[in-house]
Amino acid sequence: MLALWVAAALLLAFFAALPFARVQLPGTEAALPAYATAILINDVLTAALLLALFSAQPAPGVLFLAIGYLFVGLLAVPWALTFPGVFAEHGLLDAGQQTTAAIAALRRCGFPVFVLAYALLRGARFPQGSLRIWSGRRAIAGAVFLVCAGTIVVTAVIVAHDQNMPKLMAGRMEASSLWTYVAGASVVLYVAAIVALLRGPRSVLDLWLLVVLFALLLEIVLLSFISSGRLSVGWWAGRGFGLAAASVVLFQMMWETTALYAHLVRSIVVERRANQMRLASLEALSASIAHELNQPLASMVTNADAGLLWLDRPEPNVTECRGALDLIASEGHRAGKVIEAIRTLFRKDTRERVMLDLNEVVTEMLPEIRRHARLGGAAVQVDLAEGAPPVVGNAVQLQQVVSNLATNAVEAMTDVADRPKILSIRTAARGPNDVLIEVTDTGEGLGAEDASRLFEPFVTTKPAGLGMGLMICRSIVEAHGGRIWATANGTAGSTFTVALPAADDHAPGIAGS
Amino acid sequence: MTHSGSIVFVVDDDAAVRASLENLFRSVGQDVRTFASTKAFALADPGNAAACIVLDVRLPGQSGIEFQRELALTGRSLPIVFITGHGDIAMSVAAMKAGAVEFLTKPFRQQDLLDAVHRALEMDRARRSALAEAQTLRDRFNALTPREREVMALVATGKLNKQIAAELELSEITVKVHRGHIMRKMQATTLPDLVRFWDRLLSDPNRPAAG
Repeated sequence: MLALWVAAALLLAFFAALPFARVQLPGTEAALPAYATAILINDVLTAALLLALFSAQPAPGVLFLAIGYLFVGLLAVPWALTFPGVFAEHGLLDAGQQTTAAIAALRRCGFPVFVLAYALLRGARFPQGSLRIWSGRRAIAGAVFLVCAGTIVVTAVIVAHDQNMPKLMAGRMEASSLWTYVAGASVVLYVAAIVALLRGPRSVLDLWLLVVLFALLLEIVLLSFISSGRLSVGWWAGRGFGLAAASVVLFQMMWETTALYAHLVRSIVVERRANQMRLASLEALSASIAHELNQPLASMVTNADAGLLWLDRPEPNVTECRGALDLIASEGHRAGKVIEAIRTLFRKDTRERVMLDLNEVVTEMLPEIRRHARLGGAAVQVDLAEGAPPVVGNAVQLQQVVSNLATNAVEAMTDVADRPKILSIRTAARGPNDVLIEVTDTGEGLGAEDASRLFEPFVTTKPAGLGMGLMICRSIVEAHGGRIWATANGTAGSTFTVALPAADDHAPGIAGS
Repeated sequence: MTHSGSIVFVVDDDAAVRASLENLFRSVGQDVRTFASTKAFALADPGNAAACIVLDVRLPGQSGIEFQRELALTGRSLPIVFITGHGDIAMSVAAMKAGAVEFLTKPFRQQDLLDAVHRALEMDRARRSALAEAQTLRDRFNALTPREREVMALVATGKLNKQIAAELELSEITVKVHRGHIMRKMQATTLPDLVRFWDRLLSDPNRPAAG
């Protein structure tokens, strides 16, 4: 889009320059060295960026394009040096009348040839075996050396054989009719390069090369067919297009490089943060596991000690010792269940995901939940939504989440005496994309601060039995792409909500019907 | 290792841990009561026996350390032995700074726990007897007449009967009689006893007005 606007601006400038194209501006030779320097720097920088691109992704086309920029940029030096009236009356380097024009012709026709090579070699790769020779610094150093040497040799040849050069210039400032052929040839080459670039898929670089070629096309038209020879307004306007052409790709590449760099910095920061969070949650998980295992272990060790003390008495108390041993056995089983729960969390087959109806997940846990609620003196209410979309998940893990939340809810109501203890479990569809499980109790409720900190380790509504805590619930839910949160219902209990994404490819209304 | 007339309060939300601790304390003949939460404990009558609390750091609702702070604020401070399933250094430092007797990580050795509890009970016993003694002194002091209190203050600072008589504009005989009453009522056998009692009364925050 931006490229189109630039092209349109160039075209506008072209028409603006038309009426004054033939006005002569004598004495403006002085500005020429500055112009040539700008061209040189822009082209060399562009070549450097392209070579950097090449060293990252060795593609022959890019190398050719870089060589083209370097060649055209370096040739601007002898072109300015030999330009009559700039550094000396007839130019430096023992230049003849045709020298400058010959160099200009070479630049003009040389560049589109390299672009054409680039366009045709797009997508091409070096043959497998030659990669080592062609890639990296050696290829770049070789290319740079060749271009520098080539520029010097070409300049020397043109200067030495000035007399044998085609008569491109009729006078000091006026082109001959022969120049028209050079202009025509370069127009043909530009158009060919444009056509080649337009074919096939275009990268951002290709797009801006099109703008460059368009600018060069306008330049040659202004220079050769409209202006009245060197140092006229049309000629200088052409130079302006030349400078624009030399800058476009440079600007684009620098823009892209900077943007890429900023993007890279951003993604490194994001990655670092994600890493830290991963570490923190691992730490929390291991703390949680340590706590869950230490609980039965402590109980077992203490009971064993107590049993020994009962036996060590002057009159050993076998009944009490037996009680202690019973407790040790049941705590051993509890520790085993903790380990089992951890294994469930990390077992390979827990990565297996299938289409699940959350109602079934809840229903399957109901007998266990009811048993637990009865022990805690709580009533269970169940409200399952009909027609809720299915989710993709692991049934065992999600059952563990439901079981943990229900256990917590019953525990939260331990101290309640002034109102009925009710554990309600609800499923619901929220919009087309989410399915909810809500577990509500009529317990002590949560402070606002508690609600946000609950899922951290050490902040407890303590899970009993094999419950691995809210930490584990969150790990599971988040591994399913869902969220879990708690809300306080005033003084009358709290609600824990699990939101899971609905399966993508379900037909609405079919599930549960 | 029998602590007659003392009781250990166990506060832990894990039923199995509670049962095992109860069993352990009973096996050494130690009276014990268990509670599932600090709230349940707060509602219970602590009684008058020497006591200490074995407190889990991680509890539903209020954490053990918060409860420790609250007890200290309400002046019901009992020595506390903390137990935790997964303690970190910061947590134990906070607990010890707030005056915990010991901070044990589960699973702990019974001897460590019993030693800590023994120490805690001794501390409570000492605290109770100090309190009782202070109360006795206060009671005796309260039994003095205002004039006797004045005389006692001057005697305790080492003044002679003659000086006291001059200061209070009494006869020396009267001072002597007051002095005899003071020694009897305060149950001091020697002058140094009386001076010591006076010092304790001075450092007692609940001291009655010196008169």
